Amino acid sequence: MTDEMTQGRRRKRRQQGPARGRAMLRLLVLAVAATPMMAVAADGGPTVRDPFEPINRALFKLNNRGIDRFLVRPVARVYRKVTPAPVRRGLSNAVNNLREPGTAVNAILQARPAVAAKATGRFLVNSTVGLGGLIDVAGHHSLEREPADFGQTLGRWGVGQGPYLYLPVVGPTTVRDGVGGLVGYAVDPVSQATGGPNTDFAVGRSVVRGLEARSEADSLLTSVMTDSTDPYATVRGAYAQNRAAAVAAARGEVEALPDFGDEPQGDPN
Amino acid sequence: MPPSLTDRRRLGLGLVAAAVVAPGFAHAARSPQAEAFIATEGQKVLAMLGDRGLGEAARQARLTQSLDALADFQRISSFVLGRHARTLSPPQRQRFNAAFRSHVQRVFLRQLTAYRGSLLRVTGSTARSPTDVVVNTTVRGSSGDEAVNWRVLGAAGGFKVADVQARGVWLAITLQQDFVSTIDNAGGDVEALIRRLEAGKG
Repeated sequence: MTDEMTQGRRRKRRQQGPARGRAMLRLLVLAVAATPMMAVAADGGPTVRDPFEPINRALFKLNNRGIDRFLVRPVARVYRKVTPAPVRRGLSNAVNNLREPGTAVNAILQARPAVAAKATGRFLVNSTVGLGGLIDVAGHHSLEREPADFGQTLGRWGVGQGPYLYLPVVGPTTVRDGVGGLVGYAVDPVSQATGGPNTDFAVGRSVVRGLEARSEADSLLTSVMTDSTDPYATVRGAYAQNRAAAVAAARGEVEALPDFGDEPQGDPN
Repeated sequence: MPPSLTDRRRLGLGLVAAAVVAPGFAHAARSPQAEAFIATEGQKVLAMLGDRGLGEAARQARLTQSLDALADFQRISSFVLGRHARTLSPPQRQRFNAAFRSHVQRVFLRQLTAYRGSLLRVTGSTARSPTDVVVNTTVRGSSGDEAVNWRVLGAAGGFKVADVQARGVWLAITLQQDFVSTIDNAGGDVEALIRRLEAGKG
């Protein structure tokens, strides 16, 4: 009897599985589509919808007082301390170089042939003359990096950003950029050419990229935590601005900036 | 007569080319005066930070002078309060302005130290209107070039910086989002923000 019930439940779950998945997907699409494009807020500056703010704030606290403080930050600081600056720069260049094919693909999807050509040129020059990407030869010759990602591509073609999410370790994102990141990771041309996203090479590359990013952002994050009256709001605002600027660049638009109003009268002190 | 296949191909190619090229025409005019203002005043701040002969007190005094010459504190201090700017009483406004100025100097001194001795190079500008210009610069430091953009308001002879952008993030806009959130979370009480700034937190 119990076995029959269990099997029945399993059958039901199997039947419900795809339907539930489709419902979740519909919800996700609705959440993204219902969100207006990055807009200048009533106060000023791009903003992002944050319907899960209490949960996001709890995760932000958990990340900054726990995971980042006791695990990610110490590892990133040790990495910074034990790795000589030229080696770190070389690794950073190499990791960035491996992102150029993905940038080229996204730039094509964004109808930006000049950016795609630049990313391709950078990849070819740095992979050869730049010793496998360790030296940014192209950057030294005014062919500077202009990254593009799939979240930006979605934004370029009008997909709204969806709700803001703060994820432990990953940090700030939105539904659109999170989905974009996953798609970008799964179909990254370099990963595809080296056996997929689950090989040791791909994992090692992700670890170095994460360490580099955290190590680079260390002073900035410390300053946000020290100098902000509300670090959560500061990170959210900075993220929204950064992504709005990326999407505006992909559309070839001048960044929307808030009005500073008329010059106030009187002594500020 | 219906268009031929070749015509349709030409039209299609033309539309694709237009879609690809069109964004490139969206360039606004440059402002050489605003660029010169940033080249001079911005470099002064970086040079002052790099002057190892200055003591801490002298550096603080020089920074105050430089920021006064460079930035429009009146406008910025109203802007960062967002919709709450109108709710301050005159005494609160005075206390906020004083606390905000100290806050900005403290943050600038800490953050700009990373750029000490760096070279600032103006790379262009976009005149959003005759009195609103974004000046693009690169700051060359030990870890390479970094793009830094300056929002300059006013006209020649009276330019002032209203905001500065590094790593795609504008400082005054971020401060506004920070401050407005702090006030909102205190139930709209501006005193909560002023007290935090006066205490040196934030």
